[in-house]
Amino acid sequence: MKWNAIRAALILLCQLSLIFLLQSCQTAPAPPEVEQALRQEQDLWRAGASIYAPEDYQKYRGLLATARKSFEQEELKIGYFRNYDKVKKDFTAILAEGERIQKLVEDKKASLAGEIVARKKDLQSRYETLNTLSLELSQRTLSRKQLAQADVLFRELDRFLEKGNYDEARSRLGPIESLLNQAENILRQQLERYMSQEEIARWKKMAERALEKSRSGNQLVILVSKLERKLVVYRGGEPVKSYEVGLGFNGLSDKLHAGDNATPEGEYRVIKKVSPSKFGKALLINYPNEEDIKRFNEAKKKGYLTASSRIGGLIEIHGGGKDGLTQGCVALDDPEMEELFRLIPVGTPVTIVGTTDPNNKIIAILRREQK
Amino acid sequence: MKNLMKLAVLGLVVVFLFTSCAKQPTQQIDEAKAAIAAVEAAKGNIYAKDELKKLNDDLQAALDEVNAQSKKLFKKYGKAKEMLAKVKTDAEAVKALIPARIEEAKNAALTAQNEAKAAFDEAKALLDKAPKGKGTKADIEAMKADLAGLEAQLTEVQTAIDGEDYFGAKDKALSIKDKAAAIAEQVKAAIAKVKK
Repeated sequence: MKWNAIRAALILLCQLSLIFLLQSCQTAPAPPEVEQALRQEQDLWRAGASIYAPEDYQKYRGLLATARKSFEQEELKIGYFRNYDKVKKDFTAILAEGERIQKLVEDKKASLAGEIVARKKDLQSRYETLNTLSLELSQRTLSRKQLAQADVLFRELDRFLEKGNYDEARSRLGPIESLLNQAENILRQQLERYMSQEEIARWKKMAERALEKSRSGNQLVILVSKLERKLVVYRGGEPVKSYEVGLGFNGLSDKLHAGDNATPEGEYRVIKKVSPSKFGKALLINYPNEEDIKRFNEAKKKGYLTASSRIGGLIEIHGGGKDGLTQGCVALDDPEMEELFRLIPVGTPVTIVGTTDPNNKIIAILRREQK
Repeated sequence: MKNLMKLAVLGLVVVFLFTSCAKQPTQQIDEAKAAIAAVEAAKGNIYAKDELKKLNDDLQAALDEVNAQSKKLFKKYGKAKEMLAKVKTDAEAVKALIPARIEEAKNAALTAQNEAKAAFDEAKALLDKAPKGKGTKADIEAMKADLAGLEAQLTEVQTAIDGEDYFGAKDKALSIKDKAAAIAEQVKAAIAKVKK
């Protein structure tokens, strides 16, 4: 009886021990917040938290490391004694902090993207202005290289913006600006004179003298305005014909020497009617005149030109097409040149000016750009 | 007294055993760090960003473990050693992945470069045969100058490829391709204008 009681007690003890052991081996489930926080940390890093919120992110990582330690310590305990309450609380707080940082990063990125887009918009507007200006000029090759390169960089910038790679996008702004500055400098060198009120006043006086001649003897006079690419024939001070013209490769500059591809500015006259010429019919003018020779000699004396430089000549108003780029001549479409050739006698005064309009559209563009 | 002496000696042996087994795993630390440095040297910061970050995090966790154990009386570096060994193995695996990724990026850059060149050549060929008729001559001159600008950018693509900046090269090449295609469209429009 006694032994039976002892045996029963031992069996009961074994069963209790087994239950206890089974319970101890049972692993209490880890709070899902632990895994979520680890994923969140990766997401934050990918989102650029270390760049856009470095201090907050560092603090967050510190909190995460501490919480992980306490989680690991809890894991080391026998299942029965584990208590994840504190771990859960810590990780919940970390997740909330992570969400705050995520928002902060998104806000900073949005703000940075906004800055880049705004800056890009300014540069784009400047690019459009310079592009329009460059296409308006007779010599359309000017600054095109720089503008094409800037265009490629704009496209690169857009790609980086699309990918959310703001650092790379921002790094394109400087080179774009530099290229636009170069393009603007090239255009300004050509157009600066066209913004000078003194220069425009001088050209206006030349044009007025031509009109005065036309009025005084009911005479035919040719007035060429380079910026507007216009040739107007006046009789008795009134315009009788108007043609669009093409100029030299470097047409907006004032001709100084042979080979500069510039179209001369000054008061000339037709000295010969040439038919046929290399470019259909042609009216040869007396370039270089006295003023041109004086300017050329001064430039040589001051060392602006080499000793071997020549002043050039054979400047004509000829056919061949207004769309052509000449070596300094004024070119018209052939049918219009035929008409002009018939109309103009030898001796007709020809005045070539930069512009007489102080508010023409190119100057307006440049002024807008200058602001 | 004799027993007490025996106990003291035994105690000393136990302490010696504990301390001798609990040396900091400096060699494993150095090896893990060297393995990560090798990943970085193999351009892991470009081609295995996520993996490199994980490696650094795992290394940090292992170092934290070493640090925590070093403060204990009875130091157990077994877990830290396991962690460090895993970092080393993982780093070697990541390093092995990189050459294929570089090759992939290089191929993508070269493809983009070829596409950009093809688009450039097409625009150039179109310009060369474009009739310089009424109203187009100056436009064509402008487009030729635009292409000259692109040519300079194409050189930069090659420079980027030579410098093994394959992602940069690809982005630039694709941008050039787009611009060249835009110029080709302008040339076609100019040709159509002449034909009218």
